[in-house]
This record gives sequence, C-alpha cells and structure tokens, in this order.
Amino acid sequence: MINKVFAKLVLMGLMGLLAACGGETESTTTSAPVPEGTPSGSEQAQQFYAANPEFFSFKTPADVPTDLVWENGSHLPEIGSPNAKKGGVQYEAMQDYPRTLRLVGPDSNGAFRNWILDNVAVKLAHRHPDNFDFYPGLATEWALSEETRTVYMKLDPDARWSDGEPVTADDYFFMFFFNRSEHIVAPWYNNWYSTQYTNISKYDDYTISLTMPEMDPDILYNALEHTPSPEHFYAEFGPDYVERYQWRFVPTTGAYYVKDEDIVKGRSVTLTRDTNWWAKDKKFWKNRYNADQIYISVVRDSAKMFEAFKIGDLDMFGLSLAEYWYDKLPDSDPDVQNGYIHKSVFYNQRPRPTWGLWMNTSRALLENQDIRLGINYASNWDLVIERYFRGDFQRMRTPHDGFVEFSHPTLRARPFDIGKAQEHFAAAGFTQRGPDGILMNAEGQKLSFTLTSGAEPLAPVLTILKEEALKAGLDLRIEMLDGSAAFKKVQEKQHDIYFGAFGAFLEMYPRFWETYHSDNAYDDAFLEDGSVNPDRQIKVQTNNLESMAIYELDQLIEQYDASSDKQEMIELGHRMMEMHHDYASFVPAYVQSFYRVGHWRWVKFPEGFNHKHSDTSGELFVHWIDTELKEETLAARRSGQTFEPQINVYDQFAEEL
Amino acid sequence: MLFKLNPQTTKKLRRFREIKRGYYSFVILMTIIVVSLFGELLINNRALVVSYEGELYFPTYTDFRPGTDFGFDYSYETNYRDLKRRFEEEGQGNWVLLPLVPYSPNENHSVTGIYKADPPTAELQHYLGTDTTSRDILARLFYGTRIALFFSLGFLGAVYAIGISVGSAMGYIGGWFDLLFQRIIEIWSNIPFLYMVIIIFSVIPAAYAISTRIVILLVVMVLFSWTSMTYYMRTETYKQKARDYVAAARIIGASNTRIIFHHVLPNTLATMVTFMPFTIVSAITAVTALDFLGFGLPPPTPSLGELLKQGTENLRTAPWIVISAFTTLVVLLTLVTFIGEAVRESFDPKKFTVYK
Repeated sequence: MINKVFAKLVLMGLMGLLAACGGETESTTTSAPVPEGTPSGSEQAQQFYAANPEFFSFKTPADVPTDLVWENGSHLPEIGSPNAKKGGVQYEAMQDYPRTLRLVGPDSNGAFRNWILDNVAVKLAHRHPDNFDFYPGLATEWALSEETRTVYMKLDPDARWSDGEPVTADDYFFMFFFNRSEHIVAPWYNNWYSTQYTNISKYDDYTISLTMPEMDPDILYNALEHTPSPEHFYAEFGPDYVERYQWRFVPTTGAYYVKDEDIVKGRSVTLTRDTNWWAKDKKFWKNRYNADQIYISVVRDSAKMFEAFKIGDLDMFGLSLAEYWYDKLPDSDPDVQNGYIHKSVFYNQRPRPTWGLWMNTSRALLENQDIRLGINYASNWDLVIERYFRGDFQRMRTPHDGFVEFSHPTLRARPFDIGKAQEHFAAAGFTQRGPDGILMNAEGQKLSFTLTSGAEPLAPVLTILKEEALKAGLDLRIEMLDGSAAFKKVQEKQHDIYFGAFGAFLEMYPRFWETYHSDNAYDDAFLEDGSVNPDRQIKVQTNNLESMAIYELDQLIEQYDASSDKQEMIELGHRMMEMHHDYASFVPAYVQSFYRVGHWRWVKFPEGFNHKHSDTSGELFVHWIDTELKEETLAARRSGQTFEPQINVYDQFAEEL
Repeated sequence: MLFKLNPQTTKKLRRFREIKRGYYSFVILMTIIVVSLFGELLINNRALVVSYEGELYFPTYTDFRPGTDFGFDYSYETNYRDLKRRFEEEGQGNWVLLPLVPYSPNENHSVTGIYKADPPTAELQHYLGTDTTSRDILARLFYGTRIALFFSLGFLGAVYAIGISVGSAMGYIGGWFDLLFQRIIEIWSNIPFLYMVIIIFSVIPAAYAISTRIVILLVVMVLFSWTSMTYYMRTETYKQKARDYVAAARIIGASNTRIIFHHVLPNTLATMVTFMPFTIVSAITAVTALDFLGFGLPPPTPSLGELLKQGTENLRTAPWIVISAFTTLVVLLTLVTFIGEAVRESFDPKKFTVYK
C-alpha cells in the first residue's frame, strides 16, 4: 500500500481518448549530462541525513535489543504450485500506453505500474494471500517492540537489484530521502514518509529498524510493506527528476525487468524474467513468476481486446461483467465447448471497492437529511443487480465490507421503497409532482440532481437508476465524463452525486479519516466549542467526497486512529459506520465477491486456482504458460481435435453474504 | 421565403422537380420530418386514448398521469401496457389504445427478466429488438433521428445566419474590415473543432436540463463551423458588388441595406442553397461522431451515435443493433446527399447560359 497512492480511484476500463499518437520514437533514456559540481543523489541524501539526525540514526549491532521475539513467517504454506513450469511468453494488453516508467511523481499512478511495481517488486515482507500473516521478502526476520513502537528487520543478504547491485540498509535510508524530496512532485508521498514514521536506524548493512508515531494494530503492515529505492540508480537525482527519469526503468527487486529496447513507445512494453533472480528458490517465491517474457501491447478498446483474446493473441481476459460471461463468451461458445478456452470463477475474500452514490452534503438540498434518505430509498440497486448484473453481484451493506470483524455485523443498505422515499421527500417539502412526474416544493423547485460518473462502461447502470428514481419523483441528470475529468470534478467538490469507487487494499481495518473527517471537508469546520464555523470554506483535493463534517464523528475518528486496542477499534469502527449510515450521505451499490476469467488452455493455474485474498487471477503470478500445450492446442484447433470443456467454479472461499 | 421568387428561381425550382431522384428524396425526407413531429403518437409508452369508467383520456401530450388515476396503487406514471392488459382481463368495457410501438426510448423493458440485447420480436412489438439495457431500438432510433435532424436544421440556420452576415459584410465593406476578418477566421478555423467540443463540453455543468445541453452543444458546434460559409459568401458578394446593377442601384440612391438585401443577397442564393444539404450532412455526422465517442448528448438521450457504439461493441452478439443504426444513418445521409446533388444541378447557372 505504501506504493499505491491511497487516493487511487477504481476506474473500470478508462476510456482510451482520441490522443493516439503511435509510432516508435528514439530512445529517450539519455538525458543532458548533469552540470559538474552538482552533488550526486547519494551525496544529497547524506546531507539530508545529517540535517535530520532525529530521523536517521546510525547505530551498532549491539544497539538491537536482545529481548525481541523474531518472526519469519516460516509457519506459512508455500504460494507457488510445485507443478509450475518456467518458460513461454505471456501476451497481455493495456488500454493506454504508460505515460512514464517512473514509480512516483506525475502520471506514475496508472494501471501499468502494477507490472513494474505493485504486483512484481519484492517488499520487506508481504501479507500471505491465504493467511493474514507476513511472509518474508527482502527481510528474513522481523520483530516488534511495542513500547518503542519500533519494528526491527534483518535484511536478506542475497537480495539484489535487477542490475546486480545488492540491496542494503542504505537503500532504505535513501527511500526516505527520495520520497520526502520535493523533486519527485508527489505531495502524498512527501506527507506519508514525513508523518507516518519518526525514525529509521541502521545497525549494520543488513539490519534496520523503523519507528512509528502510533502503536496501532496494523503497525507491521506500515513497517514491512516497503520497497526500497535503489540509491545507486538515482545518482543524477535533482530538480529535473520528473523529466530525467521519465523513461528509465527503475531497477527492481522483483523477477521481471524491462530492457531499454523493449520499450516501444505507444505500442508495447515487454517484461523479461531475470533467470538469475535472487529469490527464485526462496520458499515463498519459487514456482511463481513463471513466464519467460510478458508482452504487453496497447489495445485501446475493450471490444477489440476481447476479439484479440478470442483469436488467441491474448492469453487471458477478465469476464467479470455479465455480458462477457453470458453473452460474448457463453458456455456454448465453440472455443469453450471444444476445450480451447477455459472459463473460471474464483471467489475471493478481501475488502471490496466502495461502489456507490456519494452525495456532496455541502450542496443545496443535499444538506437535508430527509432528501438524502429519500435518495437512498429511491435508488433501485436491487433491480440493477438482479436485472443488469444478472444476480451475480451482491448488494453492498456499508462501504466497509470485507474487513471481517471490523465490518459491521448488522447494518444493511436501505432497500428501494417508493413509499418511504416519498415520505422523506415530503418531509423536506417536496410534496407535489410536476407535469413531468418530478417532485416539486412550494417554491416550484424541482427535486433534481446531477449524477456524475467517470465509469463509462457502467453508464447503463445509471440509466436504469434514473428511470427507477423517476418513479419516486426524483430526477437524476446523468453526466458521464472521461475518468480523470470526473475524478477531478469530485476532487474539486463540484459534484452533487457521484457514482464511483475507491479501491480497497488488503488491510486489517478500514480507514475513516480520509473520507469522513471534517479536516477533509472544510477549512476550520468547527469553532473551539464544537459548533459549526459560519465562515468555513470547502476544502478541495481530498477524498471526503460527501463533505462530511460531524463534530462527534471527528472525535471518534481521532480516537480510532490513536487507538492501539483492536477491540476498542472494532467498537469505534462500528459506531462510526452507524453514524455514517444514519447520515445517509452514501448509497451502497454492490460488491463483487469473485473474479471471473477466460484463459486459453495453455495458461495453467495451481490446484484451487488461486489464493483466498487474491484480487485478480494474475496478481500473484502463480500461473504458468505451458508451451507444449500451446502448440498442441493450436494444432488441435487447426485439425479440429477437441478437448474436454473446462468451466470451473472455485468457491472454497465463498462467503455467506 | 426570405426573398420574393423571381422567374429565375421558379425556373430553378421547376428544374429541381424534374430531377426525380433528388425530388423524391426531398419528399421522403420532408415526410420523415413531418411524421417525426408527431412521433409521440406512433412510438410512445403513453396511450393514445384511455377509456376508463366512461371517461376518455388522451395522455400523449398532457401532464403525466399517476397510476392512481386509473386504479393502480402507485403514484408514478401509469404503465399503459399493464393498464391495457388489466382492462382486457377485467373485461368491464374499459379500453386502452396504444401507439404502434408502445415503448418510450428510455424505458428498460426486458423480455427475459434480464437487461440485455434481445433480437427483434413482432410479438412483443420490439420490431427492431432491444439494446444492451433492454430499451426498444426502434424508439431510440426514431427519437435519435429526430434529434439529429432538428439539431442539424438548427445548426444549418445558425451557421448560415452567422456565415452569411459575416461573409457578406466582408465582401461588401471590404478594405480593412475584410482583411481583419480574414485573419480572424484563419486563426479561428485552425482550432481543432473536435478537441474544442470535447474540452468545452467536459466543463459545462450537467445541472442544465438535457434540452439546454443540446442547445449548448449546438452553440459550440456552430461557433466552430461558421467560418467555411464566410469564404463563399465573401467571394460571391465581391463579385456581385462589382457588377453594374449594383452601381446602378447606388446611383439611384439605394441604401446599403437595400442593396445588400434586395440586390446582392438574392443573387447569391445559388451558393447558399447548394451548400445546405452538405451542411446538414456534416451536422448529422458530427453529432453522431460525438455521441459515438461519448462526448455528445448526455445519456440517456437517444442518439444514432450511441446506438452505433453499442452496435460495434456487440457486433457478434447483437448484430441487430448495428444493422438498424447503420442502415438509418446511411439512408438519412443518402437522402440528403441526393437532394444536395439535385439542388446543385438545378441551381447551376451554366445550365442556363447559352453562348451564341
């Protein structure tokens, strides 16, 4: 998560704009030489460490406490399948060409980063995808000292960057310097690395510790889910970082790297497997990252992507949308019936993206709770789920589903109920229906709101909602924008109602501060005594899309964030969810408790398909490409030979909802 | 008509009638336009006539009628198809007369209980099938075409009004005014139209009603399309201005206004009329393209472009979508082009110039 900007929005299939400038360009990895006398990246870092002695400490091995309980995740099961075979090329597609190969800074937070960082790079330790505990990555062992809120880590001396340099304690120091530097133009990172940690100490080249300001239950997560920054690579680091490093592939700790010649601008990027990868025989890393190469080409249109998959140019295709699963690749499709393409459904368990209607309570009318309740009752999500998603998805209960005991046990989203909706609208003064059936109040004002969204493929959902809301006398004006334009609009708090979602990461407990704290709604929302500040101004560029500002809720959030007691946090969390539910500024939409994928016969998955907390079929790289099977299948297709059809449902982790 | 028909014009019109292909295309298009004005009587989910407990209701053009008016227990708009079924079952002499196609372009009416594209059925009166959210394609096509047609007529009017005024002024006044406007137009017409529409439309608040947004789209398109007309008008006016009859009018003491409106403009009619159909074609194409790209009319407004887009996305699974949208577009554009050709031919001065 450290590597994902928290504000990342789930944009389902961001529409490829017109801006399609294809063609190869000359390699831009060479930049103007740095003027002589400019300090190198590591010299700048040394100066920074010296200027911040509180934060950066250099100690000796003798300073490591002796009474620590070291953990190493050795009780956890392996992740890769022993049947996996190395080799082959995996063919993938992306909708947009990445705008940069940098890992931070402007434009770096795109979908492509999964391929070079999020799903590939090895971090200090990772959450096991079946079990919430950590398994080792760059660290071999770690220990938590609760009194000092410090996590000690022993680094794996085998760890190497993809260019052969060893990964040492210095790279973790450099990570802090780098992510706190203004040159990277990434305020979120600047803030995170300045406020979430209070100290990093080096005991020797392979022993470090991190200290956190608060002792919260998920402290290990904040300490361990880090990928260091390669100090040697950023020798030319400076104010022109953003341009200078735009197209340079950052050495990785993971199994795949990118060669300069494999960056074909506007067309494709190819990842190559490091055959000498330092972790290739480690318990939790072996039998994963199996394909020799991953060829990712640009296909701007999802319909075309599907056709490319159908002729075998792509190996896998996500079939989570009902129209793909039932209509475009039905079980009766010849390729499925002949056993060439396999269809798999996998039920997973993890926090779900928060799809729903986000009401901006700072807008006229929406500040009225009755109106918000009315909108809740006038949103027919059950119909959308039943008719449009064909009953495959479930109704979301609260925006914090999937956090096990942290999720609220009894709260449920309000059902579609025209009677109740009208009662609430009437209580807000909207009693008369106008000539078009839309409710009006005594002043003749219509009950009408703009419904903004950037999720273009889901536009049909909104048109269904609109038709249904009209029955309750509510008019929703749909505004379908380009994904980034829509997100900009809501970040500027210019929306009435927004349909969208925040991505949810595999965390132990939900976050509230970002979305519900008044700090993110207004500048100085409340006066000293807790009353509303009459001069408060809307705060833009935050994730409090509902402009929620409740004094009491603020107190709970602060208590929750400061708490180190799990039970207390659960109770506080539930109370906050209840308050949020009562406030009714969010209409929970749906959750998808599975993912579905179509894959050619030569793409093999482990027994049981994947792991419990996996988000997509490819995320953990446990699949492999069987080159012999590929040849066999292609030959069989030509000769008409068929195989047993494979349509598999893996519901071993299905949850009762 | 703006100008009094002179014998020459009558001659041209007669000539137009003689070009059969263009003339019949014109008749067909006019029929489509006239019929579409009364489209609510043909394709609509509101009944034409309801006879309920001895009283007659004509809900098509009136305010909405809640279900409670006809003995249903809901307060939203009556579902007249249900009403008809109920009346038939009750058999108490109440009756409902539904339009030919009893669906509105925005309502989801699923044949199977699932919202997906269904093939055409005469039985359920989805004569062209349904789109991906079970909306009637014929209804969407019909209203989409109507919007496109009237949109393009509005576009034509506005582009002509601006183009002719500016163009004539440039030609007639000439001098620095002409020079200045030429430069302005050169700069203006170099702004990429499609990008501008996309940019402008993405910042316009959606708080306006759909009809307002359509007007805004129209205004934006006109803003970037009036320039081409000015060139022709400028040249034409220049030409006419230099002619003797204008000089003669001026000597008699005719005012500039009189000269422009009574002498110059009528003589440029040929140019204006010739470009009309092509302007319409370009407007229909532009609005369809914008919708196709998702930057045109806001959903759920029915539109040809949106249907085309759905169609291409579901080429394999629902070919009836793309077939109907494509056919409509082709027919429409062909009709307009035929008319255009005929107009051009009949207004071509060469036809009447005889050298002896």
